[in-house]
Amino acid sequence: MRAIRYSFGGDEHVFAEIDEEMSLEAFFKGMAICRELGERRIAGVSEICPANASYLVRFDPDVIHPNTMLSTLKEIEAEVGGAELELPTRIVEIPVLYNDPWTRETLMRFRDRHQDPNSIDLEYAARINGYASIDEFIAVHSGAPWFVSMVGFVAGLPFLFQMVERQKQIEVPKYLRPRTDTPKLTVGHGGCFAAIYSVRGAGGYQLFGITPAPIYDPAQKLPYLKNFMVFFRPGDIVKWKPISREEYDRDVEAVEAGTFDLTIRPVKFSLKAFHSDPGGYSRRLVEVLHGH
Amino acid sequence: MAIEVIKPGLATSVQDAGRPGYYHLGIPLSGALDQYALHAANLLVGNEEGAAVLEATLLGPELLFRAPAIVAVTGAEATPKVNGETRPRNESFAVRAGDRLTFDYMKAGARSYVAVAGGIDVPPILGSRSTYALGALGGFVGRKLAAGDVLPVGSAAASARPGRAFAADLVPTYPKSLELRVLPGLYFHRLTEESAKTFFEDTWTVAPEADRIGYRYRKGRTLKFRERKQPFGAGSDPSNIVDAGYPYGSIQVPGGLEPIILHRDAVSGGGYAMIGTVVSADMDRIAQMQPNNLARFVAVDMDGALKARADYRSRFARMVASLR
Amino acid sequence: MAQHRVLSPLPGIFYRRSAPEKPPYKEDGDRVAQGDVIGLIEVMKQFTEVHADASGRIVHFLVDNEGAVEPEQPLAIIETD
Repeated sequence: MRAIRYSFGGDEHVFAEIDEEMSLEAFFKGMAICRELGERRIAGVSEICPANASYLVRFDPDVIHPNTMLSTLKEIEAEVGGAELELPTRIVEIPVLYNDPWTRETLMRFRDRHQDPNSIDLEYAARINGYASIDEFIAVHSGAPWFVSMVGFVAGLPFLFQMVERQKQIEVPKYLRPRTDTPKLTVGHGGCFAAIYSVRGAGGYQLFGITPAPIYDPAQKLPYLKNFMVFFRPGDIVKWKPISREEYDRDVEAVEAGTFDLTIRPVKFSLKAFHSDPGGYSRRLVEVLHGH
Repeated sequence: MAIEVIKPGLATSVQDAGRPGYYHLGIPLSGALDQYALHAANLLVGNEEGAAVLEATLLGPELLFRAPAIVAVTGAEATPKVNGETRPRNESFAVRAGDRLTFDYMKAGARSYVAVAGGIDVPPILGSRSTYALGALGGFVGRKLAAGDVLPVGSAAASARPGRAFAADLVPTYPKSLELRVLPGLYFHRLTEESAKTFFEDTWTVAPEADRIGYRYRKGRTLKFRERKQPFGAGSDPSNIVDAGYPYGSIQVPGGLEPIILHRDAVSGGGYAMIGTVVSADMDRIAQMQPNNLARFVAVDMDGALKARADYRSRFARMVASLR
Repeated sequence: MAQHRVLSPLPGIFYRRSAPEKPPYKEDGDRVAQGDVIGLIEVMKQFTEVHADASGRIVHFLVDNEGAVEPEQPLAIIETD
């Protein structure tokens, strides 16, 4: 990987581009630097935002001079450069009703903005990624786990990166023109990233399904949101679990009753171990979810 | 003590100094877009720094006071009226129980700030009373105000009194055409040589969509990005990058068409190349731009940005010192 | 008879019809009653109706369809009854 490219975002931000292209290595390096920066508790630093292949820091230049801020980040880059790329994190199972009636209604409403007005988003994504059917595509989408490589755009929205070799990664362009509406909790896909729309709103990702699990709630009604109103953190690992309409309805009832919960387990992720055997390593990760 | 909203105006919300610390989870800073006007309003009514006020955009609200209060209005040139009688801007005044506060046309500037002694006392969430409407978070039940809302007000400081004002020549004015200082950077190198020039040569008009999330500008020449084989994970358009964090004040140009400057309710990240960032000292001035106002972008380096910041601080300090 | 000017409450874009394919709310010379909608102002992704604040006959509109307007800018002149 090349050296990080730094640029000031006005007088209050440093933007660090770790790589122009997306990779787990770039994400890991950014996470490691952001973690170290956070631990140093530097006066004047107010925001530390890891993203897919970059990170952003906001600081108060009256407290720490921009050049001091920059040299601190370069120093941390040099220190973590050779560090073991390991991340203590958690794996979580997210139920998904694929091809649900609500995202289907939405995608039909905005068909004139889509590359292929004559099929639905799942059919289009299956075809251009070389899968014979929607079912085959869903099996692949929900097979390997996904890495949360960024949280943002709007409150609590995770971007997820599929943990398979690059040539196997699902890639789908965004809509030709963004929609003005997307149902809350839609599972979508744009470029190489999956996303869960945490709130209802505009968007350009392809629509694959919907999860009954709230991931952002200022009222913090569910057990897994008690700690904080946003569920996802960069570095979380997600396994999609296809569910039926009956299971979806049952989950929604549980959400309304305040009894719905997610399966969440701690894991330690090693990038090196993943690269030596992506398929086997991912399987072992997923087994952690159900107590093996 | 409480205030009843009779008419909400176009977009009036509870705002304070903001909610830093959660941008990495997509929760933006929020807070008064014009922080200078926020602090000025609070000083005039004897509030603590960062007390919550009302921010009214383009069209003032009609408010009914249920108890006597000390009030100050700062920001846009929109004359406040109590029961139809004119009151000064940038000077505290008293209202009685049953008085109605209204506003004249916003002749210049885009946002009025209404501070009430004691502050708007909605519950703080993640350390702030600011409204983040996209996330239905904070402020008055997470949204802009509606007719019939009743806003709680805290206890006024003993020092709150009518007739407090700043020296008149230290109060900002809001021209319809101005220059915004920009530190080029981030993905500025992705612009063609030609577009790197025209961005600074052209006069840009504030679009009617401009809001707390971002200020959109139009009527300059289309900006072109250098052709390249797009990196893995970036979108197909040359204005796309692998989704990244967006600085406050950063300028993105989706499809090269209309520059958008992100403000305090920013989307925290996305896949559009940012070509530079407006200096922190000019963010309040953006907040006071009306649709159809004109801007030119002027390139500065970091020294220029820090000088602008120091000037802003000293102007504010002089204004505070002139409080009588 | 007096002439009355209808002023724009907001800055933004002035529309004289409810949708591109619809006829204008009012034409020059039409009669209006106080409260009638004579146009829309688009700003911040919202449309705000502009109402005639006097009854009479519209002498003429001062701003074209899709024209940029400022607060307090006269939009139309009404010859009041």
